[in-house]
Amino acid sequence: MRRILPFILTIGAVTSSFAIPALSAGSGIVATAAPGAGGAAGWTTQAKAAKAAPIELVDLAGIKKLIAGDKRAKPLLVNFWATWCDPCRDEFPDLVQVDHDYRSKGLDFIAISLDDAADIKTAVPQFLSQVKATMPVYVLNVADPEPVILAVDKDWGGALPATFLYNSQGKVVFRHYGRVNTAELREAIEKLVGSKQ
Amino acid sequence: MKRQFVFTMFGAIFLILAGVIMAGSARPADTAMAPAIGATIEDFSLPDTDGKNHALSSLKGKNGTVLIFISVQCPISNGYNDRMAKLAADYNARGITVVGINSNKSESAADVKAHAAEKHLDFTILKDPGNKIADLLGAQHTPEAYYLDANNKLLYHGRIDSSVNPAQVQSNDLREALDEALAGKPIQKTTSLAFGCSIKRV
Repeated sequence: MRRILPFILTIGAVTSSFAIPALSAGSGIVATAAPGAGGAAGWTTQAKAAKAAPIELVDLAGIKKLIAGDKRAKPLLVNFWATWCDPCRDEFPDLVQVDHDYRSKGLDFIAISLDDAADIKTAVPQFLSQVKATMPVYVLNVADPEPVILAVDKDWGGALPATFLYNSQGKVVFRHYGRVNTAELREAIEKLVGSKQ
Repeated sequence: MKRQFVFTMFGAIFLILAGVIMAGSARPADTAMAPAIGATIEDFSLPDTDGKNHALSSLKGKNGTVLIFISVQCPISNGYNDRMAKLAADYNARGITVVGINSNKSESAADVKAHAAEKHLDFTILKDPGNKIADLLGAQHTPEAYYLDANNKLLYHGRIDSSVNPAQVQSNDLREALDEALAGKPIQKTTSLAFGCSIKRV
């Protein structure tokens, strides 16, 4: 059944080529991190020049805005991580590669750090620079994590790292807690983006 | 006519079932479901860090047991060490035994023993080889707490409190649940969520 599901979901996940850049819609707080056009070779050149997107604090309202399906026309990948979380650090280079490979094919990707808000100018950017990350990154700044966990995915208990893939209607079509299996993640993304649509 | 009706009904049931199954398919196979609040947890045995087996029934206090899935390495779990030790002392005196369970395959019994000594975790800690009890209870991360009453009925499942930073705690969910249960009152908040480190399963 898990193999059949993505095909069915793909039908509902068609994204428009003239879609509004998803994450900038409405929120006004997200800068697009990576260039959206160009092939692999073009990307390599651009990546060298690519500047990491600014890291911003985000609260519950911001999280809801970022993942709201009705404001988005593209699939969205969301990763929850922290610099103090070993499996998060371990998987992050794979996610950077996923971002590089799929953003130009129509995948939005945001990473949400659970580091202390005070680390927004130190540990967080240091790590992101090490792994050459260019996706938009937010540092969660909430007093109570529960509403955030519920807003992201009702099946999530809060385990880290956590990776969620939403289709363009805002439905979670892939979720993984713990270090992500990159092959499985890529397979799920392929169903939603690129030439297969 | 009757046969046509039966076929139509079968078709409708099939479509409903297919929808239900597909709606749940995004859940990874390795994510066990937690028992519902009110469910009775069957007695189980696990070894402590010296390899000695303990049955839940032999550990529980007259007012039940708090099981907390914990970790040696997880910074969030470690952020709760002092609070867990205090919880164990406070509620042991009130007939509730606090038991730690380590289900991480990456942390050996020797690691757990050394860590408990270093961090003064003065309560029983059991090792859960093959994460069988984590699966039984649907535990996803550390720290994650369960309160079972004297009949092993699950009355609370979730976080210890609302923030790993003691200065920012707004809601002492586990303690409030235990206090309500001890006072013979219904528990207001039976489930709660917080971030934690995913349990390293086999």
